[in-house]
Amino acid sequence: MDGFVLTLWLVRLLFLALLYLFLFAVARVLLRDLRAASRGPVELGRLVVVASPRGEPVPGAIFPLDAVTNIGRDVNNGIVVDDPFASSEHAVLTFRGRAWYVEDLASTNGTFVNGIPVQGIAEMGFGDELQVGEVRLRLDRGRP
Amino acid sequence: MSIAAQARPFASARPRFRPRTRTTETGLLALVAVALVVGAASLGATQRVVAARTAGEALASLDFSPPDPTALAVYLGAVALVHVAFIVAGRRTDQVLLPAVAMLGGIGLLLMQRLPQDLVQQSFFGLVLDLGQLQLMWLLIAMVVIATLALAVRSDAWLRTYKYTWAAAGIGLLLLTFVFGSDVNGARLTLSIGPVSGQPSELLKVILVVFLAAYLSENRSLLAEESTRLGPLRLPPLPYLAPMGAMWAIALGIVVVQRDLGAALLFFAVFLALLYVATGRLSYVAGGLVLFLAGSFVLYHLFGHVAQRVDNWLDPWADPAGAGFQTVQALYAFARGGLLGVGLGAGLPTIGGHLPVPAVHTDYPLAALGEEMGLIGLLAVLGLYLVVVERGLRIASAAHDDFRSLLAAGLALVIGIQAFIIAAGNLKLIPLTGITLPFISYGGSSLLANAIVVGLLLALSDRGAGAPAPPRTRTGLLARLRGARS
Repeated sequence: MDGFVLTLWLVRLLFLALLYLFLFAVARVLLRDLRAASRGPVELGRLVVVASPRGEPVPGAIFPLDAVTNIGRDVNNGIVVDDPFASSEHAVLTFRGRAWYVEDLASTNGTFVNGIPVQGIAEMGFGDELQVGEVRLRLDRGRP
Repeated sequence: MSIAAQARPFASARPRFRPRTRTTETGLLALVAVALVVGAASLGATQRVVAARTAGEALASLDFSPPDPTALAVYLGAVALVHVAFIVAGRRTDQVLLPAVAMLGGIGLLLMQRLPQDLVQQSFFGLVLDLGQLQLMWLLIAMVVIATLALAVRSDAWLRTYKYTWAAAGIGLLLLTFVFGSDVNGARLTLSIGPVSGQPSELLKVILVVFLAAYLSENRSLLAEESTRLGPLRLPPLPYLAPMGAMWAIALGIVVVQRDLGAALLFFAVFLALLYVATGRLSYVAGGLVLFLAGSFVLYHLFGHVAQRVDNWLDPWADPAGAGFQTVQALYAFARGGLLGVGLGAGLPTIGGHLPVPAVHTDYPLAALGEEMGLIGLLAVLGLYLVVVERGLRIASAAHDDFRSLLAAGLALVIGIQAFIIAAGNLKLIPLTGITLPFISYGGSSLLANAIVVGLLLALSDRGAGAPAPPRTRTGLLARLRGARS
């Protein structure tokens, strides 16, 4: 009987050891994933073109954003919106601390967030929609 | 040349199914299968040795075959099928969640096969199923739900657009339970419609997370604003505080009307956690905790069932044979388990033909696991929950937008907080509240609701296939009011 008890005890311990082996394997995967995420340049956010009646920028296009990005019709802007309803220097997107803000640069036709006109400066969350002229852009989180 | 020329358009016209290998998941699932087979072998052998010892016979040889080999094979086969379906569909979904959940479900299955099989018996069309078989059936259904949601959900528009519909459905479910529900152990939890009966509060927690994620992601900036001053406190605009008050009232209502302390605690904790994730302001959490303490104090003095739970927690030995019986027996079970446990199948001696802990399969599975797998095994189980929560928060941090981010965080936290509440209750760290241990406890509603949570998390983890969010242009009364305000 003693041999049986010993074998049984070993199998019991083997089960517990296998549980920890599984946890160890998972922890390795998680660590690798976190390391990969922390490497590489940090993308603060991106603008995705949702609608653009005149095709410039192309609908579906993705613009990675810097901490300060200018939007307007002028070619010197970070994002050029070639739309007759957009001013040459229309709006500026800034990342401060932990949130995005959009500031209307006294444009003729205004800047809208989710259809609401921006008075001065407004906070933007990820998933919110920005309208400049007739072009609609969605603010998305950057690739991790 | 403008920057737009460099921009990447969406990948277009690719085949719907393009198989993609998932080596991480395959490896982890192989480990799960090996661990569960060894666990089942240990359980089978121990049960035979224990049976021989009680009968006073000597065993000729040690037989390591599992107690119910077909059930284990069917379960592992179902998990493998889900895995193959993921490979064939080729979505880039998370590869750790399925193995972690499969391990938890497998441990639950072993536990249910080990407990007395006549604890629960149900007959379906003349076919009588007992505890282990019922748990297997629900686990299979849960796997189907996980696979379906993870593969079919490609857009979250149906969740975020109809948030008030979801909230109304949830409150309707609550009212239905209140009116038509039946009482079990003094709590009105179970709703029976025809032959189907279930616990709506399990489903309600998923609906709550969906609603909160949609509401908070839309009003995040307004909630973070500080425009109302109340003495030293700075609060957000008052109308946006209303849902917080409503949530508190609903949680208290569940305690008073349904007598379901566990669900109330879970809902309120998830609400506070999501509020913190959305706004990043500790003052809300502090305010919520003050409200919670005030509410608990009043409830303790007004309602007997709350007072009884708390008194049981403070001193179960005041009435060890009556009200404190389960708590005391669970503590004895943990003590018997010690560091390494007595081994699967060797614990839980019956007292006079009865189980020492009557609700061991629903409320106290952790006590049984603690006795048979010891502290080491218990920590491994808690580690598995930690893995699920970590994956959920990781999915949240990688999500495209605020709604998905809050949804993923909320879904993961629901599982984590529920596991914490019941584990702490079992260990007498907090008063015991009757909720299930996710994926391990016996119960169809619980397994289904948690399967929905995991399926949604898997669907959310795929960044590649996410359809663009719908435009959220507000044209209603609220928008006009807000436009005028700003």
